[in-house]
Amino acid sequence: MRTSLFYLTSVSLASLLLGIIVTIIIPAEEPIGPSALARPYTAQEAWGRDIYKREGCHYCHTQQVRGPEANKGMIHQPGDIGPESAPGDYYYQSPVFWGTERQGPDLTHVASRQGIGNNKAWHILHLKNPRAVSPGSLMPSYDYLSQNELDALAAYLLTLR
Amino acid sequence: MWSDEPGSASRRFFYSAIFWLLVPGLIGLFLATFLYVPSFYDKLPLVVKPYLSFGRLRPTHVNIMIFGWLSQAYAGAILFILPRLTRTRLYSERLAHVNWWLWNLMMVGAAVTLPLGLTQGREYAEMIWPLDLLAVLNWSLLAVNIWVTVMRRREPKIYVSLWNFMAATIVFIPVYMVGNKIWDPSGAYTGMTDNIVNYFYVHNLFNSWFTTAGVGLALYLLPKLTGKPLYSHRLALWGLWSVWAGQHHQLYSAAPDWLEYLTVVFSILAVVPTTAFIVNFFMTMRGCWNRVREDVALRFLATGAIFWGLTCVQGVAQSFRTVSLLVHFTNWTVGHSHLAFVADYTFWSFALMYVMVPQLAHRPMHSRKLMEWHYWLITLGMTLFMVALWIAGVIQGIDWMSGRIPFLQTVQAMYPFFAARLLGGLMAGAGVLCFVYNIWRTARRPQTAPAMASVGGGGG
Repeated sequence: MRTSLFYLTSVSLASLLLGIIVTIIIPAEEPIGPSALARPYTAQEAWGRDIYKREGCHYCHTQQVRGPEANKGMIHQPGDIGPESAPGDYYYQSPVFWGTERQGPDLTHVASRQGIGNNKAWHILHLKNPRAVSPGSLMPSYDYLSQNELDALAAYLLTLR
Repeated sequence: MWSDEPGSASRRFFYSAIFWLLVPGLIGLFLATFLYVPSFYDKLPLVVKPYLSFGRLRPTHVNIMIFGWLSQAYAGAILFILPRLTRTRLYSERLAHVNWWLWNLMMVGAAVTLPLGLTQGREYAEMIWPLDLLAVLNWSLLAVNIWVTVMRRREPKIYVSLWNFMAATIVFIPVYMVGNKIWDPSGAYTGMTDNIVNYFYVHNLFNSWFTTAGVGLALYLLPKLTGKPLYSHRLALWGLWSVWAGQHHQLYSAAPDWLEYLTVVFSILAVVPTTAFIVNFFMTMRGCWNRVREDVALRFLATGAIFWGLTCVQGVAQSFRTVSLLVHFTNWTVGHSHLAFVADYTFWSFALMYVMVPQLAHRPMHSRKLMEWHYWLITLGMTLFMVALWIAGVIQGIDWMSGRIPFLQTVQAMYPFFAARLLGGLMAGAGVLCFVYNIWRTARRPQTAPAMASVGGGGG
């Protein structure tokens, strides 16, 4: 029985180790440089990104556009979900906010959206009172953030082009 | 405080698990209400708003439910089972008490830090670095008790449940360390790798801990409640290759295509151990279905096994790109995770507690009627909850793929389903209250059997 315990341990750990090598380490070894959309963050944008993480925005907004829905899925107008995400888009991000749920729209290219996307004032208004600008929205109101925090968060959102 | 009485640590784990069930349960009801009537959140006083916002409470709900409720229920049941299957004492009851204190310290830490917005921002891996270290320590202490007790056993045969507990701990501890990047206080990798590791961890948290240990618990209870030996002892061990399937949580993503195809293959291979368990379970159940009417614990166990089979069918289906494209990111996913964590593992935990708490407290359950109410309220409530979200998810998926409907309109189409989910959640919550009240009355009831040692010493 001592030998079976030994087998259990070694087979379990070997299968785990192989899993880690094949599904984590080998993909991580692929040379991926920053894409045209990726860029390092300024201090204010990085702070805004921390606020995005702290408030858990990524639980309702994904930051990944899948191939078949690229330029097809609709936020306001046809095609405005934007182009498919590439690995290099995430080059400077830690952690990444790919997300698993869309209670709200995908934000990968939010700053490129016609009319509102690059409008900082719209973003701040929307954060403070979502239902004033998007009637029927189920986003929480972020009126408890300070003006500086709202500025930083909006600055981060503008990097999502 | 550090009682050496056999079973005292197990009993404590059960009682604290029940406390931690109530906390995320209430948070869940609050969030379900918020999603149905978002404007009520606008009217809350500004001082409490940050701590009650959806993005902070969601990880609080998830972490406490899986680490505070389910994992402590598992720990209590494992500590209960170990001496019985090995015919010896638990290696160290005192170590188990230390484990209990540290586990609850970790949960208090999570319950305080997550609403404060202290998070690592990665799904299921949100707990900050000190709590991650505590988590590794907690599972390691539990592993020591499991492994040393088995090595010191007086029963020559190692029953399948013990194999599962040992495999679960030895795989899950390194998975947690890699998944949470335990050597780095930020807990996050960079770029695409961060997401790949995150879902490797999420999948294996489910696969190596909740499933492997959970199957061990179910296979302990099944022969006990049916009075029949297990149909097959060979069929029982969970497939280790599922370790490889993590990336099926993110299909059509920016991760390499070959990795996605590989994980789909391994997800399909998972059909083998899944079928083995289901066959084993239902062949053992054969001829015992009439007992389900009398025995609420067996009914919870069997209902959990049926839902578990459904979880696996959904899980394999969702690992196909075409299905994933339609239902991923929708409310379907929310339904699927509640199927796994509530309708399977929580149902099994109820069955375990209905069998084990009366033995640990040396009293029969207070009320049989409340057990019936508990079963029917939570089963019907969760069914309504999940079916509503699955339908909602398919509608959302079709709407999004059409590329013709503005997003906001697809959100507004959700409100009737959110109402059904809230109603289902309220029913499930009422069921849980019946359960908690019943356990509380049982623990306080005068003993029917003479106590082995001082019962006061090890109370929860």
